[in-house]
Amino acid sequence: MDTFVHQVLAGLATGGIYASLALALVMIHQATHLLNFAQGEMAMFSTYIAWALINAGVPYWAAFFLTIAFAFVLGLAIQHFVMRNIRSTSVLQLVIVFIGLLVIFNSVAGWLFTYTIKVFPSPFPKESLFGQKYLSSHELGAIAVTLVVLTLLWAFFRFTALGLAMRAAAQNPTSSRLVGIRVAWMLALGWGLAAAIGAVAGMMVAPIVYLDPNMMAGILLYAFAGALIGGIDSPGGAVLGGLLVGVLENVLGAYVVGNELKLAVALVLIIGVLLVKPSGLFGSVQVTRV
Amino acid sequence: MSKSLLDVVDLHAGYGLTRVLHGISFGLAEGSITTLLGANGAGKTTTLRALCAMIRPQGQVTFDGQRIDARATEDIVRLGIAHVPEGRGTFVHLSTEENLRLGAYVRKDRAAVEQDFERIYGYFPRLAERRHQQAGTLSGGEQQMLAVSRALMLRPRLLLLDEPSFGLAPLIVGELFEILRAINERERVSILLVEQNAAMALDLADHAYLIETGRVVLSGTSHDVKRNDAVRASYLGY
Repeated sequence: MDTFVHQVLAGLATGGIYASLALALVMIHQATHLLNFAQGEMAMFSTYIAWALINAGVPYWAAFFLTIAFAFVLGLAIQHFVMRNIRSTSVLQLVIVFIGLLVIFNSVAGWLFTYTIKVFPSPFPKESLFGQKYLSSHELGAIAVTLVVLTLLWAFFRFTALGLAMRAAAQNPTSSRLVGIRVAWMLALGWGLAAAIGAVAGMMVAPIVYLDPNMMAGILLYAFAGALIGGIDSPGGAVLGGLLVGVLENVLGAYVVGNELKLAVALVLIIGVLLVKPSGLFGSVQVTRV
Repeated sequence: MSKSLLDVVDLHAGYGLTRVLHGISFGLAEGSITTLLGANGAGKTTTLRALCAMIRPQGQVTFDGQRIDARATEDIVRLGIAHVPEGRGTFVHLSTEENLRLGAYVRKDRAAVEQDFERIYGYFPRLAERRHQQAGTLSGGEQQMLAVSRALMLRPRLLLLDEPSFGLAPLIVGELFEILRAINERERVSILLVEQNAAMALDLADHAYLIETGRVVLSGTSHDVKRNDAVRASYLGY
């Protein structure tokens, strides 16, 4: 029983990381109707920046926030200099741009930082917190950080004028311009926020999976599964989906399929959702009049 | 005649290679209601789109003494021109109240914005009942009221209205036009109205321009245009 509780809680810890990345995917999807395949690599690249800062002697939390700022500017720049200038509306061409970004970030990280696996520090103490034995302090800390990020985002989109304008710009760009919203900047801001969330996810997962240029490949797949389960157009659904995937992955990995086939769980979930309920648990069915 | 608020000279515009406007010229006096009449495809909607740079026009557009024909939509809005687009432009996934709040997006006077909610709900009590409802679930008439209200939340100097009567029951159209008249008289909002319902538009407006295939073919006070034989035969049906 104890191990089961541990598996579920540890699943929630990694699930929170998948949830963050799934949320980043949903944010970009709402504006572009596409999945940003480079989201994971952007997070990985940002995590390397954090690693470099910490190695240069910057205290952890200063490096943490500097990295978030770096990722935000990176996301902003990708929208402003790359995506905005691509006039193509062909889905296939845009997907290729995303894959191109993925490869670029992956190789640049490998070139700058080498492919050697690196240890990434956790800001949380070694011994477990509050005298409980189920979760390591890093897992507990990762859950707390995820909760803080998600709450801040929710409040931003729910209560601020800028958050409302970003939602409006993603939903209806034409009407948004007509009320004076600078839509291109809102999209860039969306990219910046998504990249910043991804960076937090990267820094939280790196102490668990170790830092290397390919560390986000599997995690992005879990995030895809989470976003699809929750419904690709539902931010709340993506968060729940990510948590669910984390728990399922851990429990099934421990008791059913074994560690080697964990990643297959994500793929089975993706295919299952697409077959049974393509709109996800909380997504809306898209009907287009032709 | 009072001072001119909007002056359009030799406006050309179109979509891709299709030219729709072939040199439209008209003016609108401050505080007036002016209507553009014409059949389907004459270029009325295109004119409104060109005015607020939803499509890039050629020609001169002067608003309150400033050229606006090279500016971006977002900047034109900031001068106080609110556009109620064809098809209402509702933010369907947001609540009624959020739709209204977006209308006031460029305003800095927060306290006055909060008061304006009550002013709008005074004009359209139905919207007050629906304030927390998702706007996409509102009826067509309610969404048209919401579109007009969203534009009014800007506290515009000029209101561009594209077919506000489209798809509405006659009773609701009458109600809406009464409110437009009240807004024009009480708040001195100038209105440029595009309508296919020529009879109602001419009753509301002071001035009218008749557009055919992208050109102004007739203009004058509503009173005179109403009595023109060609207009009566083609647009008023008597």
